[in-house]
Amino acid sequence: MSLLNMVMLTDIFGGLKLTLTHAGRPADTVEYPERAKEPSERFRGMFKLDEERCIKCTLCAIECPINIIYIDWHSEKNEEGKSVKVLDRFDVDMKRCMFCGLCEDACPTNPKSIWLKTKTYELSTYERNEALYLDIVKLTSWDSNVKPFTPRPEK
Amino acid sequence: MSEHPLPPGTVAQVTEGGPPLFGLREMELNFGPQHPSTHGVLRLVLKVDGEKIISARPDVGYLHRGTEKLFETETYPMVVPHTDRMDYVASATNNHAFCLVAEKMLGLQVPKKGQYIRVLLDELQRISSHLLWLATAAIDLGAITPFFYTFREREVILDFFEEYCGARLTLNCMKIGGLPLDLTEGWVQRVAEFNATLPAKYDEYEDLLTENRIWKKRTIGIGVFTKEQCIEWGVTGPTLRAAGLAWDIRKAIPYECYPELDFEIPTGKNADTYDRYIVRVAELRQSQRIVAQCCDWLLKNPEGEVRAKVPRVMKPPAGDAYAAVEAPKGELGFYLVSNGGNKPYRLHVRPPSFINLQALPEMARGHLVSDLVALIGTIDIVLGEVDR
Amino acid sequence: MSESILYYGVIPAIKAVVIVLVMATAAGVLTLFERRLLALLQVRKGPNRVGWEGSLQWVADTFKLLFKEDIVPAKADKVVHYLAPLFIIIPAMTVFAVLPWGPEVSFFGIKTPLYAMDVNIGLLFVLAVTTIGIYGVILAGWSSNSKYSLIGGLRSAAQLISYEVPMGFAVAAIIVMGQTLSLVEIIEAQKRMGLWFIFPGLVAFFLYFVSGVAETNRTPFDLPEAESELVAGFHTEYSGFKWSMFFLSEYANMVTVSAIATTLFFGGWLRPFPNVAFLSFLDFIPPIIWFLLKVSFFMFVYIWFRGTFPRYRFDQLMALGWKFLIPLSLGNIVLVAIAALWGKTGLTVLGTILTIAFAAGIFLAFRVPPKRLTVIEKSRPTEVPA
Repeated sequence: MSLLNMVMLTDIFGGLKLTLTHAGRPADTVEYPERAKEPSERFRGMFKLDEERCIKCTLCAIECPINIIYIDWHSEKNEEGKSVKVLDRFDVDMKRCMFCGLCEDACPTNPKSIWLKTKTYELSTYERNEALYLDIVKLTSWDSNVKPFTPRPEK
Repeated sequence: MSEHPLPPGTVAQVTEGGPPLFGLREMELNFGPQHPSTHGVLRLVLKVDGEKIISARPDVGYLHRGTEKLFETETYPMVVPHTDRMDYVASATNNHAFCLVAEKMLGLQVPKKGQYIRVLLDELQRISSHLLWLATAAIDLGAITPFFYTFREREVILDFFEEYCGARLTLNCMKIGGLPLDLTEGWVQRVAEFNATLPAKYDEYEDLLTENRIWKKRTIGIGVFTKEQCIEWGVTGPTLRAAGLAWDIRKAIPYECYPELDFEIPTGKNADTYDRYIVRVAELRQSQRIVAQCCDWLLKNPEGEVRAKVPRVMKPPAGDAYAAVEAPKGELGFYLVSNGGNKPYRLHVRPPSFINLQALPEMARGHLVSDLVALIGTIDIVLGEVDR
Repeated sequence: MSESILYYGVIPAIKAVVIVLVMATAAGVLTLFERRLLALLQVRKGPNRVGWEGSLQWVADTFKLLFKEDIVPAKADKVVHYLAPLFIIIPAMTVFAVLPWGPEVSFFGIKTPLYAMDVNIGLLFVLAVTTIGIYGVILAGWSSNSKYSLIGGLRSAAQLISYEVPMGFAVAAIIVMGQTLSLVEIIEAQKRMGLWFIFPGLVAFFLYFVSGVAETNRTPFDLPEAESELVAGFHTEYSGFKWSMFFLSEYANMVTVSAIATTLFFGGWLRPFPNVAFLSFLDFIPPIIWFLLKVSFFMFVYIWFRGTFPRYRFDQLMALGWKFLIPLSLGNIVLVAIAALWGKTGLTVLGTILTIAFAAGIFLAFRVPPKRLTVIEKSRPTEVPA
C-alpha cells in the first residue's frame, strides 16, 4: 500500500463505497411463506409409496443405511389360486430419515414404487411421532390433504 | 509472597520460574461449547493471564457419533451417505474420498465423463466451502457483511447441487464406480455461466477485506505455524500451503482427471492468518478455473457413461488400501481394510479438521483471546469431521 | 413572578419530559432504522413483518424486552448489578439537556428556544457527563460475576478513558475557532463567519468522529461487546428491562455524538452556506429539520461503518488511540490555533487548503486500482517432504 493510499484511507473508503453500491441492489433473499423456491425435479423430500406397484421384495429396507424401513408381508392365495404377497406392514420412521435416496435406487419396479421425489420439504409438525412415523396408510395418502406446491408469482 | 496455602485450582506460578506474584493466578476461561464463534461445539479450556493465552486445550467429542464403527455395519454402497455427515459443508469430497478407496479395492475405473463430473462437483464444493469459511472467518473478526455476500453465491452453488443430485447439503452425489445420475439438460451450461460471473464477486470480497487495514492488523503475524511445524503435526490444506509448501493431493498424488486440467497451487510465505486468507481466496480463483475447464470438456463431450460396470454385490478382496483427496480443508483420506466380505472390516478416516485442530494450542499460545477467535476461523474446522 | 415560574419552571420541565420521551422512543425507532439499513447494505430485507414493512417491529421488541424475565446471576453483587444500568442511562439522558436542536421558536405566543438550556460551558458539560457512563460499564462488567463480562468491562473502561483524550483535543480545536464553550454560541459563530467548522476542522472532525465511534462502542471499535469474542461483553448477564437500558443508552450516546458533531462541525441547525444569499430558498426547510437531517446522516454513517468493517483488537485499539490519534490531535490544535490568529480569514484559508488537499488526495489515491489476487505464485514442482 502506497503512502498516499495509507494517508487517504483508500481501503476504508473503498470498502464503504462497495457496501454503499450494494445498498441500491434489490434484496437477494426470498421471503419464505409468501414466495418459495420450487425444488428441482430431483429434489429428495418426503416419501411416497405406491402399494400396488410394490412387489414386497424388501430391497429398500435392506439397502437403507439406518434401517428405518420395516416391512412385513405374508402370502395369500388369490382368486386364481396363485399365491401373492400381501403387505402387513410398511413403516418408515421418517424422523430419522437422512434423505439419501438409496431405497429409491434399490427399488426394482419401473416406475419406482417408493420414491422421494415428491418435492415436499415442509415436514415440521407438532407431534413428531404422530406425523413422522409413517405406516402404509400415511405413506400412500399423506398428500391427499396437502396442497400441491404452488410458488407465488414474482412481484 | 503468601505463606498460607493457595486455594484449590491455583496455579502456583504466573511466570515460569518466579514465585507467585501477590498470589495471582491464571484465570481459567471456558471457551465454548456454546460460544458463538467456536463453529459448532468445540470447547476450549483456556488459561489466560489477563487476555493473554497461556494455554489452550481443545476438548472435542461433543458431536461424536461413532461414524467409523457405524461404517463396519454397512455394506459398501450404504457407507456413502454416512460420509456426508462428517464434513457437512463439503460432502462431495467426502463421498469422493470414500468412493476412491472402494474403487481402488474393487479395481474399478470410472469413465471419463464420470471423472469430469466428479471433479466439477468437487471444485464447486470447494468453492462453496471456502465461501462459507470466508463468511465465518470474517464474521469472527467483526465484519458481518461478507457473510451475506458470500452466501449469495453459495446459495446458487447449492441450487446447482440440488438440481444435479436432489440435495443441497448432504449430497450423497457419488457412488462407487462413478455417479448415480447423469447430468440434467442445460446444467453444465448454467454452471458455466454462473462460473464466469464468480471472479467479479471475488473482487468484491477482496475489496472489503484484502487491503482493509483493520483486517490486515487482525490477521498479519497472527498464528504463525511454520512449514516445519506443519509437517511435524501433519497439518495439511491451506494452512500448509500458506506456510510455503505446495503440497496438494490434486498435484502430488493425482486422482481422476486432475492431470489433464490446468491449475496452480497457490502458496503463501509468512504462514500467518493473512496468508491463509490469501491462499484460500487464490484457491477460490483456481477452483473457478477448474470448473470452467470441466464445463468446457463436458459441453464438448455430452455423451458417455457416468458409471462403470459395478458388481451387484461388492466384495473387495481381502487386503487394505488408502486413498485421499484434497478436501477444502486438507488431505481427507480413507483407509480401508477388507476381509473379503461385503462390509468394511475397518474403515479409518484421516480427517483434515481433526489433525489441523491440533495446531490450535500451538498457534494460540501467547496471543490474545481476540486472536483465538481469528485462529479458530483460520484453521477452518468442521466439528462434524473433528468428532465423527 | 408567574412569568419566571413559567420560564424557569414549567417550560424546562415540559422540555425535559419531551426530550426523555422522544429519546426513549427514538432509540426504539433507531433500532429499526439500523436493522433496515444494515439489511440494505447486505442485500437482504431486514424486519418487515410487524406493521407496514416492519414499521412496528420496534414496538414489538420494546414490549418483549419489558416483559422478559429479569435474571440476576446467582453470585452477582445484586445492588451493583441493579445500579449499573442506571449509571449508564442517566448520563446518557442528561446530556440531551444541552443539545441545541433548533433556534428560538414560538408556541402559543411563548417564545422559547428548542433546547432545554444553554449552559455556557455546554461542551465541557457534555464531555464530563458522558464520561460518567463508564462507571456503569465497569460496574456492570464487575457485578455480573462472569469472566466474559469482566473482560468486557475492563476493555471498555480502558477504551473509553483513552478515547476521551483525543476527543477532548479535537473539541479544543473547535473551541479555539469559536472562542466559546457554549454549543449555541458555536453555532452562532459559524453563522457569523459564514463557514462551517468542518472545513478548517477537517482533521479535528476525523479525530472527533473516530473517537466518538470508539466512545459509543460501535464497530470497528466494539470490543467491549465483541459478539464473536466475549458473547456480549459487559452486558452478557443482563436481560429484560435492565438490558434494554444498556441498549437505550448505546443509541442515546450515538445520537449525542452525532448531534455534537453536527453542532461543532456542520453548523447545527444552519442550512448549508448560511451566508450565501442565493441559496436562501433553502430556508423553507425549518432549522430543526436541518439539524435532524445532519444527525440522521451521522447515524447512517455509524451503521454504514458497522456494515463494512471488521473489529480492531484491544491492544491495537489502544495503540491507535495513544500513538496516532493523540499526537495528531495535538498537532491539529497547533495548526488551528495558528490559523485562528488571523480570525475568519485565517480559518477560511486553512479550510480551503485542507479541502483542496483532501479532494486531490482522494482523487489521486483512487486512480490506482485496488490490488487483487490473481495467481500468487506460479506453482512449483511438488516437493515431497522427506
